[in-house]
Amino acid sequence: MLIQFLLIAAVVVLLVFFLKNHGTTKTAAGVKIGFLLFLVLAVVAVIRPVEVSKLAELVGVGRGTDLLLYALVVAFGFQTINTYLRFKELELRYARLARAIALRNAEAPARADAEAIEHVEAVQRTEDPAHTS
Amino acid sequence: MADQSDVWLVVPVYNEAQVIADVVRNALQTFPNIVCVDDGSRDGSADAIRGTGAHLVQHPVNLGQGAAIQTGVEYAREQPGAEYFVTFDADGQHQVADVVRMLERLRSEPFDIIVGTRFKGDDSHIPLIKRVVLKTVVAVSPKLRKLKLSDAHNGLRVFNKKVADELRITLNGMGHASQIVDMISQRGWRVTEEQVEILYTEYSMSKGQSLINGVNILFDSALKTGSRR
Repeated sequence: MLIQFLLIAAVVVLLVFFLKNHGTTKTAAGVKIGFLLFLVLAVVAVIRPVEVSKLAELVGVGRGTDLLLYALVVAFGFQTINTYLRFKELELRYARLARAIALRNAEAPARADAEAIEHVEAVQRTEDPAHTS
Repeated sequence: MADQSDVWLVVPVYNEAQVIADVVRNALQTFPNIVCVDDGSRDGSADAIRGTGAHLVQHPVNLGQGAAIQTGVEYAREQPGAEYFVTFDADGQHQVADVVRMLERLRSEPFDIIVGTRFKGDDSHIPLIKRVVLKTVVAVSPKLRKLKLSDAHNGLRVFNKKVADELRITLNGMGHASQIVDMISQRGWRVTEEQVEILYTEYSMSKGQSLINGVNILFDSALKTGSRR
C-alpha cells in the first residue's frame, strides 16, 4: 500500500536529515515550518474531517483518523530523536563548561611547600638536639 | 630505572576515597607526574588525593569517566615536558609494572598508542561472564578485528603527545572506550596491544562497571554519529 511506503520513507528521511544537520540554523527553520504545516493540517482535520478521509483514501488508509494516528506516530518518533540529540549536545556543552572550571581550579601538589617544611624541621632538629628524643 | 618525568598518569576518580591515596602513592614511586580528576565524588576522594603529591583537578559536578579522562588529558598535555600519557584506573586494578613495560615499547617502537589487553595470555582469572561479554563485543565489532584489538574496554592505555593533542572524547559516560577505538581507526593512530594483568580484588569487583552498562555503551556508540565533531 502507498501509505506504508510514505510512512516509512518519512521516517527514514527525517532520521537521516536530522542526524546529518541537527543543530544548524537551517534545521531549526525547517522544524518551525514543519510545525506550522502540522498545525494547518490539524486545523483542516478538525474543521473538515471529510477532507482528511479523502486524503486517507487517496493514500490507501481506511479512515482519516487512522491517517492522523500514523502521522502522529511518525511525529512522535521524530520528536524523540530530536530531544535525545539535543540532550546529548547539551550534555557535551555542560561537560566542556565543567571542564573549563575544573582546569581553572586545578591544584598542583604542594611539593615546594613540603620541601620547605622538611627543611625547616631538619634545621630545628640540628639546632635543638633535645627535640629529637 | 628510566627517567619517567616526561610521563603523565591520568587517573579518573569517582568515589574511591578508600583506596585512591594508596594507589596514587604507589604509582608516584615510579611516576612523578600524576593528575587525578575527581569526577564530583561525594566521599572525600579529593581530600585523600590532596595529601599524596598528585595534581588534583575537580569536576564541579559528576560527568562520567569519559569526561574525566578528557579533562585529565587536557590538563596533562599542557604541562611542560609532557610527552607520554597513561590512563590508569583509580581502584588499584592496574599494575605499575605493566605501565613501565608499555612505555618502554612506546618509546622504542613505532606506535602512537598501546592498549592493555586481558586476553593475550591466560585469562582464566577473569570472571566468566565478564570474559564472555567482552569477547562478544570484540566478535561483533569489525573495527576491533581490523585493528587487531582483543580488549577495547581495558582502561589501561599508554599514548604519545600526538594522540593526546588529538584526543576528543565527547561521550561522557562509559562509551568512551569504543569512541577511542573509533578515533584510532579514523585518525590513523598506530596501535598495538600489550598483555596486562588486572587485579580483580573484592573492592574493584564491587566498583566495576556492571554488565547492564554494556547496553548503554552500545546505544551511545550507535547514536554518537549524530553529534558534531
